[in-house]
Amino acid sequence: MIISQSSGVPIYQQIADSFRTDILEGRLKEGEYLPSIRGLAKELKISVITTMKAYELLEEEGMVTAVQGKGYTVNAQDGEMLKEQHMRKVEDGLMQAIASARIAGLSEKELIETLELLLSLKEN
Amino acid sequence: MEFKSCIHGENIVKKYKNFELNVPVVDIPQGFATALIGENGAGKSTLLDILAGIKLDYKGNLKFFDKFDDHDREVNPEVKNRIGYEGTGNYYLPSWTIKQGREIQSLLFDNFDEKKYIDICNKLEVPADDGKKISDLSDGNNMKLKLAGVFARKTDVLLLDEPASPLDPLMRDKLCEMIRSYLLLDEGNKSVLFSTHNIADMEAVTDYAIIVENGNVVESGFSEELKEKYTVVKGDKKDEEAASKVLYTITSNNFGFEGMALTKDLEALKGLDVVTEMPTLSQVCVAVMKHNSKLYTGSIL
Repeated sequence: MIISQSSGVPIYQQIADSFRTDILEGRLKEGEYLPSIRGLAKELKISVITTMKAYELLEEEGMVTAVQGKGYTVNAQDGEMLKEQHMRKVEDGLMQAIASARIAGLSEKELIETLELLLSLKEN
Repeated sequence: MEFKSCIHGENIVKKYKNFELNVPVVDIPQGFATALIGENGAGKSTLLDILAGIKLDYKGNLKFFDKFDDHDREVNPEVKNRIGYEGTGNYYLPSWTIKQGREIQSLLFDNFDEKKYIDICNKLEVPADDGKKISDLSDGNNMKLKLAGVFARKTDVLLLDEPASPLDPLMRDKLCEMIRSYLLLDEGNKSVLFSTHNIADMEAVTDYAIIVENGNVVESGFSEELKEKYTVVKGDKKDEEAASKVLYTITSNNFGFEGMALTKDLEALKGLDVVTEMPTLSQVCVAVMKHNSKLYTGSIL
């Protein structure tokens, strides 16, 4: 796991992102435990509360469940949720494209044409 | 966020001739590292000494581990042994040698693990068994020896007064690692409280912060919550006057301004051309201290 102190993304967010990817891509499987909160804090040289916040975020998203006195286990990932997670990524990417298009002064039509062009290139 | 208190204090008052510490309520969360932050003379050491039982002539109520009061701390070895304290004062007699220091700690504390002490001393490159006088050691090595002493005891809470001050940057990093390892010993049941004015160096190990100014606790909370409670705001000269009415602290320069706002007040900055950022814990601390300080706020020279 790579944590950047200067990326502008809060550290708890980076940790959550990393575990979320591991879970969604199957590297962390249902029922497996996340590292202990204080153990991970020690390994990553960060505070306990930052790790805790990352785990709480994953819990809110339904990725993991807190087990009293034992830590956090990975939940079963149903297809619907996986799709939603990926959908979010798609939306993020498109939002960035829209922002860049605004700066470049592209019209909506031009932007859509660009997307269509890229899609056809990919298909071929 | 809810938490269990390892030490809980209420209505703590300690009067000196020109200074009064007055803390209506203070909590040290269990399972975390807490930083006690404030200007020189703000009352950090006084508060720490009261919690540790070094100073006994104070008013107020203390509760340790959710069931013992400060009388228990004095008479019940079971409670006393669970609390480790490192102070800035010299608690070794000037004539003691390093070897005697070790022997005396071994006599004094039932839970002093001599093997562990020697191991820590070796790893920190300070002699554990030397005929040299402790008072002849450098400030840094003296602190290493004190830290070895307090970490070699089997305790549940450590109270450390300015442990980072005399240490070099590498050793400060080591200290952070030692604190993290200590918290990991019994996941969720060990706590550390340390005072510091090097918050930037200790930020990566600080879970909870208590900021003391002029004898009062002026802010406290988990670092992640404090970083959300406050927001850094930067802007150009033209917006300075409007922004200054909203900001918690503001510093003006020739080109614009930079300051700290309470995040809940950001709405009032709408329409102004400002940049906002999440602060570091150090930035939050400086802003809170600045807001409450008697120190001259303009440029000194």
